[in-house]
Amino acid sequence: MNLLRVNFNEAFRSLWGARQRSLLALIGIVIGIGSVIAMVSIGTIVQQESIRQFKDMGVDVVTIRRGFGESAAVPFRADVIARLPQEKPQILEVAPYVNSGGDYYRGRAKINLEQMGVTAAFFSINKLAAVKGRLLSDLDANRYCCVVGAELAAFLRQNGLSEPVGGRLTVNDRAYTIVGVLAPSAEGGLRPYGINRGMLAPLSTAQRSFSNADINTILARVAPNTQIERLKAEVSDYFAKKSRGAQVEITSAEELIERMKKQMQMFSLLLGAIGSIALIVGGIGVMNVMLISVTERRSEIGLRRALGAQRGDIQSQFLIESVILCLVGGLIGIVLGTGVAFGFARLSQWQFVMSYTAVLLGFGVSTLVGIFCGFYPARTASRLDPIKALRS
Amino acid sequence: MNEQMLDIVDIRKSYRVGPTEVNVLKGINLAVARGELLAIIGPSGSGKSTLMHMLGLLEKPDSGLYAIDGTRVTYDDDRALSTLRNRKIGFVFQQYHLLPKLTALENVGVPLAYRGMAADEIRKQSRTYLAKVDIEHRALHRPNEMSGGQQQRVAIARALVGRPAIILADEPTGALDQKTGEEIMELFRRLNREEGITIVVITHNPALACQCGRSVKIIDGMIYSA
Repeated sequence: MNLLRVNFNEAFRSLWGARQRSLLALIGIVIGIGSVIAMVSIGTIVQQESIRQFKDMGVDVVTIRRGFGESAAVPFRADVIARLPQEKPQILEVAPYVNSGGDYYRGRAKINLEQMGVTAAFFSINKLAAVKGRLLSDLDANRYCCVVGAELAAFLRQNGLSEPVGGRLTVNDRAYTIVGVLAPSAEGGLRPYGINRGMLAPLSTAQRSFSNADINTILARVAPNTQIERLKAEVSDYFAKKSRGAQVEITSAEELIERMKKQMQMFSLLLGAIGSIALIVGGIGVMNVMLISVTERRSEIGLRRALGAQRGDIQSQFLIESVILCLVGGLIGIVLGTGVAFGFARLSQWQFVMSYTAVLLGFGVSTLVGIFCGFYPARTASRLDPIKALRS
Repeated sequence: MNEQMLDIVDIRKSYRVGPTEVNVLKGINLAVARGELLAIIGPSGSGKSTLMHMLGLLEKPDSGLYAIDGTRVTYDDDRALSTLRNRKIGFVFQQYHLLPKLTALENVGVPLAYRGMAADEIRKQSRTYLAKVDIEHRALHRPNEMSGGQQQRVAIARALVGRPAIILADEPTGALDQKTGEEIMELFRRLNREEGITIVVITHNPALACQCGRSVKIIDGMIYSA
């Protein structure tokens, strides 16, 4: 419609005419929208990042943990665990492990070492690979050998053991031959902590030599499309029968991801709410500018009414002005906010994801702010008495 | 075709100023014929501004009838009133009231824009009317680049562009020097004579009134034939 175009031209002209003032209002909106976009985008990046850590390991993994309370006294029995895949075909692989941590000294240098007793399945379930040497196999049972995590390998190299593979690692008076070095792995998800700082020995060896040799946790890979609830019931039942009433707690990656998604949504919402405060302040700035603009242009409004402008024409003229102001501010804010999120992702070395929701949100919200904050001034303008307005 | 362009019957208007009620218009009767050039003369405070606003549909009378170009004016619908202003009335003000950020050409087009006319058509019409008042050479200038007389010519073009039933000129020469003022009055006379445009000039200046075909006086809210 032509009138709309005329109003658009008018709006640009009048905003340009009072550019200093427009600019200040614009900055308010830019900061407002920018902070909402930045916050929401960062929330999305954090969410994607933590989910990515899970996905890294695969979503077909569950942990089976010894229950708390009375049954905690009953540790898992290795033979009971080993038969689990045969008894319950949904379970493809099991990886029971033991772990205990402690300081490890080499000369005066110290590292917080994670001692782990694992089986061959542990490596496949956790998607661990050797950069040097080999992984452990079931043939290593009872042997004093180990693979070391990336961080531990670096520590050893820095402290006298230039080639860890083939070297010896002495922990608690027992010497283990290092047979392999692991590639670095991301922490998080269901993957046990400390693998990078870990020495991973065969489970059978660990049960004889580690101070804490109870199996508390089992990692298991399940078949695709396994009903987690049913699995939980069956596995609990299995352990209760075979292990004198032992209770277990089963957590699936999917559940954790769901839980995490929910938390992240709350987190994003919170961040968005914080950003909105800036936006409200920016919106008030726009309303202020529009009110001043109406006051300043009273005689213009009167004249336009005299020339036949409807109230609606006047109202839309000012509304369009305010929406343009907010949209331009919003556009800059979106660019700025995305830039901030990008910088954040860069600094924390996380993967940057463009949040299209945030961009749409930015456009939507800035239009709404424009309409909202422009409405009152525009209405005031349209209700002016033409004669009084003309005289001023 | 209706021969009466404006027909006012017993229009009254009063304002409340503090505790007292001031009767500004005390029963005005006035008829303006098609093609007439009428002057309404009156000293300040006589109610002529109020009458002008009344004629221009900017103000609602307390009572009385008003018909413009055969249409009875009803005041309860602001939308209809705005449309009527846009179609039937062309204002010329003492202070020109041009929009400072628009060029002469754009200023002239404003009333047409409110009719939703296409931009090209608006430009074409505006140019025609700028030519009609001999100011086409200033089409792309802004008001502050023009003299008072030139601005008033642009304002007259704006009043004419919508082919209204009547031109209402409120002290159109009040802000101009004598020579320019005479030129503007000559322009009104020419438009009235050659195009048959109905014009009402409101002024306190009796000398202007002499240049019009007919003049009436408004004194203390009443109309008297001069």
